[in-house]
Amino acid sequence: MRKLASWAASAWVGFGRACVVTAVSMLVPAVWAAAVALWIWWGANPWSWIAPFVWACIGTFALSRPVCRMVRSLVAKWTGTVIPAGYRQAEPVTQLSTGYWWNGFSYERTRRDALMDQRMRIRWKDPAVWRDLRFAVIAPITMGVTAAIPPAGVAAAVLALTQPAFSVRLVGLLGLVVAVAGAPYAWRVVEPVAVRFLRASAEMALADRVDELTAQRADTTVAQAAEIRRIERDLHDGAQARLVALGLSLATVEKLMESDPDQAKALLRDARAGAATSLTELRDLVRGINPPVLTERGLVDAVRALALDSPLEAAVSADVQLRLDPPIESAVYFGVAELMTNAVKHAHAARARISIAQDRDGTGIVVDVEDDGRGGAGVRDGGGLAGLRRRLAVFDGTVEITSPVGGPTQVRMVIPCASL
Amino acid sequence: MRIVVAEDLYLLRDGMVRLIEAYGHQVVATATTGPETLDALLTWRPDVSVVDVRMPPTQSDEGLRAALAARGQVPGMPILILSQHVEQLYARELLADGAGGIGYFLKESVFDADQFIDALERVAAGGTAMDPAVIAKLLSSGSSNRRLGRLTEREHSVLGLMAEGMSNQAIGRRLFLSESAVSKYTTSMFGKLGITDDDDSNRRVLAVLAYLNEP
Repeated sequence: MRKLASWAASAWVGFGRACVVTAVSMLVPAVWAAAVALWIWWGANPWSWIAPFVWACIGTFALSRPVCRMVRSLVAKWTGTVIPAGYRQAEPVTQLSTGYWWNGFSYERTRRDALMDQRMRIRWKDPAVWRDLRFAVIAPITMGVTAAIPPAGVAAAVLALTQPAFSVRLVGLLGLVVAVAGAPYAWRVVEPVAVRFLRASAEMALADRVDELTAQRADTTVAQAAEIRRIERDLHDGAQARLVALGLSLATVEKLMESDPDQAKALLRDARAGAATSLTELRDLVRGINPPVLTERGLVDAVRALALDSPLEAAVSADVQLRLDPPIESAVYFGVAELMTNAVKHAHAARARISIAQDRDGTGIVVDVEDDGRGGAGVRDGGGLAGLRRRLAVFDGTVEITSPVGGPTQVRMVIPCASL
Repeated sequence: MRIVVAEDLYLLRDGMVRLIEAYGHQVVATATTGPETLDALLTWRPDVSVVDVRMPPTQSDEGLRAALAARGQVPGMPILILSQHVEQLYARELLADGAGGIGYFLKESVFDADQFIDALERVAAGGTAMDPAVIAKLLSSGSSNRRLGRLTEREHSVLGLMAEGMSNQAIGRRLFLSESAVSKYTTSMFGKLGITDDDDSNRRVLAVLAYLNEP
C-alpha cells in the first residue's frame, strides 16, 4: 500500500515536472509556430514571410539564454547536478586619464557607450551564445518530445473520453495509461540532454582555465614580490645592520687594544654576542624561507619536527615516506604550519592530529589536519587560510575546511601530484 | 685527545682545527663529505669527533646519517654534532640508543671556545652535551608540557640545565644556589617524574632525556 502511495506521489510530481519541461523546451517552437501562423494569415503578399521570419529569429535569439538558464536551474533543483554556465564575464569599465572609457575591447567617449559596446561584443563573441542557440533547437526534439508524452496522453484522454464512439474512448484510455505509466520517468530525460548539450565546450573550458591561470599567476607574482621585500627588509634591518655594528666594534677594539685593554675586552664580548644574535636572526629568516629540515629530510620528517616543536600535543601519521617535488613539499609544509599556528592562536586547541597519505588512486597527496579547538575558522580575504588556498591553487590543490563553532576544526588539503 | 673534524665549509673547518689545536688536542683527520666522514670515523676511531649535519654530496643530512651509521657499528662512539639549526627530531634520534657520548650543538657554540672544548671533553668521556636551544625546545613542546606541568619553575630550570649536561655544582653556580639546595631540587624533581636518583651526572641526563623521549 505504501509502495503504491509513493509511486502515485512520484507519478504526480513527475507529471508536474514533465509539464514544466515541455513548456520550457517548447517556448522557441511556439515562437516559430506563431510566425508561421502569422505568415499564413497575411498569405496574399509573396513577401509577407519576411517580417514573421525576422521576428521569429529575434525571438529565438532573445529566448535561447533564458531557456538555457531555466533548464540549468531545473536540473540543479531536481537532480542536484550543477552544470556550469560558462558565460563570459564582463570586465569592469574604467575611465582612463584621457577621459575616455575602456571596456576591455575599445575606447568610448561615454560610460554608456562603453557599456553598450561591451555588451554587444560579449554577446557576439561568447561561444556560449552559439551553444545556447544550438540547445534551443535541440531541446524541443529531444527532451521536449519525451517530456510531452504524459501531458499529451492526458490531453488525448480528456478529448477522447468525451466522445461517444467506443473505439475512440479505447484510444483515450490507452493514452491515459501511457500518461500515468510514463509520468515518473518522462521528465528524467532532461538531465542527460542538458549535461550533454549545455556543458561548457572544450573551447570554453579552455578559456576559463586561461582566466583562472592568469589570475593565479598575478596572485603568485604579487605574493612572491611581497615575500622578497620581506626578506630584503629583514636582512637590511637585521643581519646587515648587525654586521656593520660588528665591524665598528672591531675597529674600536683595534684602537683601544693598547690604551685600554679592559674596555677592548668588553667590546669584544659585545661583538661576540652581536654575532650570535645575528646568527639567530638569520636562522629564523632561513626557517621562514625554507626550513632546513625540509631540505634534509623531506615533508614527513619536517612535519614531525614541526609537531615536536609545537606547543600542541600533535600526533603525525604518514603511511609512506613520500619525497615530492620541493615546491609542493614547501607549500604543504607551510600549510600545515599555518594550520597548527591557527589551532594554537585562534582555536586554543590542546591536541592536533596530522595525517599525510596518498589518495586512493595514487595520483595525489591528501593531508588532514584536525584539532580539538573551538572551531569557527573561515576563509577571509587576506587571512591565513586564503593565503593557504592561494599557495595550493598554484598546484591545482584544494583546501576543504570544516569548522563548526565549538569545534573541532578539520582541514583537508588535496594536491594532485604526478611524481608519486 | 685524537679528534676527527667533518665539515664541508673550508673556513669553518680550518677555524675549528685551529681552535682545537690551540687547546692542545690533536686533529687526526678531516672529512668533507658524508661517506668520507663514515670512513674517517671507522678508520681512526677518534676519542671524539665533530660532525656537521649537512654535507655533500646530497647537501641533506649526510653527516647525521654518517654519525648514526658509525654509532651503529661502534656503539657509544663519542660524536659531537654541529648544525646551523637544531631540531628535536634529530636530538631524539641521536639519543635513541641511550649509549651516551653524544653532543648536539648550534655552530655558533664555537664562539665560546672554553665551553665548546669543555663540551667536547664531556662527550669524549661518554657524557651528553646539548645546546641550550635544544633543551629549550624539548622542554617547551606540547608532549612534555603535560608531564612537566607538576614541576615548579625552579625545578624546571634545574631540569633544563641538567639536561644540557651540567653537574649539580655547575647548576648551583648558574642559579646562585648551594650544591645541597640543587640536590634537594633534583631529588624532589626525580620524585615527581618517577625517576630513581643516581649520582652519575651522565646517567641523570640520559634518564631525563629518555623520559622526554617517550612518545
